[in-house]
Amino acid sequence: MTAVHLKGVRKDYGNFTAISHIDLDIASGELVALLGPSGCGKTTTLRMIAGLEIPTSGQICFDGKDVSEVPVQNRNVGMVFQRYALFPHMSVEKNILFGLKVRGTDKAEAEDRLEQILDVVQLQQFRHRFPAQLSGGQMQRVAIARTLITNPSVLMMDEPLANLDTKLRGEMRRFIRNLQQRLGITTIFVTHDQIEAMELADRVAVIFNGNLAQFDEPDTLYKHPKSVEVADFMGATNVFAAQINDKTATLDFGALTFDAPSQNGTRSVMLRSEAIDLHLDEPTDVQNVFRGTIATRDFFGANITYGVTCGHETVQVTEQSRRVIDVGQDVWLTIPPERIWVIQKND
Amino acid sequence: MARRNANATALSERLSPFQKVYLWLVAGFILGPFIPLIIQSFAFRWAWPDLLPSTWWLEQREKSVLPLSWDYVISPYSQVWEATLNTVFIGCAVTVICLIICLPAARVLARESFRGKPAFEFFLSMPLIVPEAAIGIALLMIFIQIGLAGTYTGIIIVHLIPTIPYMIRMLTAVYQGLGRDFEEQAMILGASRWQILRMVTLPMLLPGVVAGALFTFLVSTNIFLLTFFMGQGKIITLPTLLFSKIAGGTLDASAAGITLVVTVPGIILLVVTERFIKEEAFGKGFGN
Repeated sequence: MTAVHLKGVRKDYGNFTAISHIDLDIASGELVALLGPSGCGKTTTLRMIAGLEIPTSGQICFDGKDVSEVPVQNRNVGMVFQRYALFPHMSVEKNILFGLKVRGTDKAEAEDRLEQILDVVQLQQFRHRFPAQLSGGQMQRVAIARTLITNPSVLMMDEPLANLDTKLRGEMRRFIRNLQQRLGITTIFVTHDQIEAMELADRVAVIFNGNLAQFDEPDTLYKHPKSVEVADFMGATNVFAAQINDKTATLDFGALTFDAPSQNGTRSVMLRSEAIDLHLDEPTDVQNVFRGTIATRDFFGANITYGVTCGHETVQVTEQSRRVIDVGQDVWLTIPPERIWVIQKND
Repeated sequence: MARRNANATALSERLSPFQKVYLWLVAGFILGPFIPLIIQSFAFRWAWPDLLPSTWWLEQREKSVLPLSWDYVISPYSQVWEATLNTVFIGCAVTVICLIICLPAARVLARESFRGKPAFEFFLSMPLIVPEAAIGIALLMIFIQIGLAGTYTGIIIVHLIPTIPYMIRMLTAVYQGLGRDFEEQAMILGASRWQILRMVTLPMLLPGVVAGALFTFLVSTNIFLLTFFMGQGKIITLPTLLFSKIAGGTLDASAAGITLVVTVPGIILLVVTERFIKEEAFGKGFGN
């Protein structure tokens, strides 16, 4: 399939810089998420890869070939818009066949491919309906089918799960994942939702203010963020300033030993709320024990999140709701050294 | 569709007596003026203070096969046929030219921002503010000099003056409702500009275009003063013909007949375009 490379891509709109400098190497057949808050430039990046925008400087390469100046029509990419952009005056069939019709594909071949793709997206019985008569999930499948029938070298999606309800989300997530793996098509999607990025992507590119902040696998991004900003965006609740000295972090409420590599000096320490254990009695034979008092309790059904006051700080602890601890209770917290992450970059 | 009808019946059941009276009043207000016209056109003699004609055409059957006024209206002497053809021709030409001018203009106004856009939009409405008589007389002077007075071209040009502002406004609103997504999607799927216009943009704009075209046509067929100035009596349309019949202040049977004829093109157009303007047309998939 196709590998996509962005080399020093920059995009200005007049005086406004949407993307200041992005280098991105996306391997062939990879599923990559561009993640960031709204206005960070992720959609602009996607539109530049699609060819809807031309970069001010830098190069966009497909398999090493510079396509920055190739017009959209000839770039052979596919894009599924956030609101699907199905043509309301065409039936499902006509919508899907659009790409082949404008290319002047032979009629018999077009029919063949239509049958195939309708089977893939399981829309056979809806083929004569109009977009207004479809549900959100069905519309998305039509949009995907319409794009895939043209055999694009790169598939792009704008917030693929954002418009779907929770139940449908899971279904579509599995559907997109399976389809992408079966076809092995390089896929890039944009999202502002870290959960959506993590549940779908092989690798996630986090973009802040037109710059690439980190490009890693979801697991790495979640556990080992490179900056406080990334940690924050990935939903970290416990990030504290600490003095680092040879595998020991001195925080406001105590000293913690950790395994992660770190330089000495003032750094930020991230404790994932689900990595912390709550004890009602003082535990023995364990490292990294510190005391606190439960200040708040939020019940989420399967999970409970406690806000525990330790010294001047509040530590968020999440555990499965097998038990409920009252507010005001004194507790001991422990965290294994391998679950502590020290963020090297402070900003 | 079934659900829609159910809603409509549910609504009428809930109408209060006041609402019903109000609806009848509105209907009377709209349809009322037509009643004396219809009666008049079938009358032989209808003089004040009679509430109904004292002599109907039926009673004078031996003098005329058709109702007196209709006999006149369909005869070549009335020039109704010529005027109708002129009116429809001018109306169609104005509508097509207006669309060709306004579609690209509306696209730019809806999607781009440029310096002086608010002022430009204001100036677009100026022809609606300046009195028609002032525009008409001034243009007539110019048109006489350049030989456009008394020609179809001249009439079509002046008809564009009051119709373009409406059309641009209508199409701008329609374009604003049509996101860029659809055209960009078509581009990514490999469609050329012309294919996008023909297969995506125009069909999606169709309800608005039809509404705008209908409106332009109706306005054009009803313009009296500008047509009167520019036609110079050489080119007659239904409004100028009607004016010459009723300028004396009397509404006789033949004038009533002409008035009824004048309304026919509009009514036919309204009925034909009704379904295009409705959004359901999309669901039924017209043009596919």
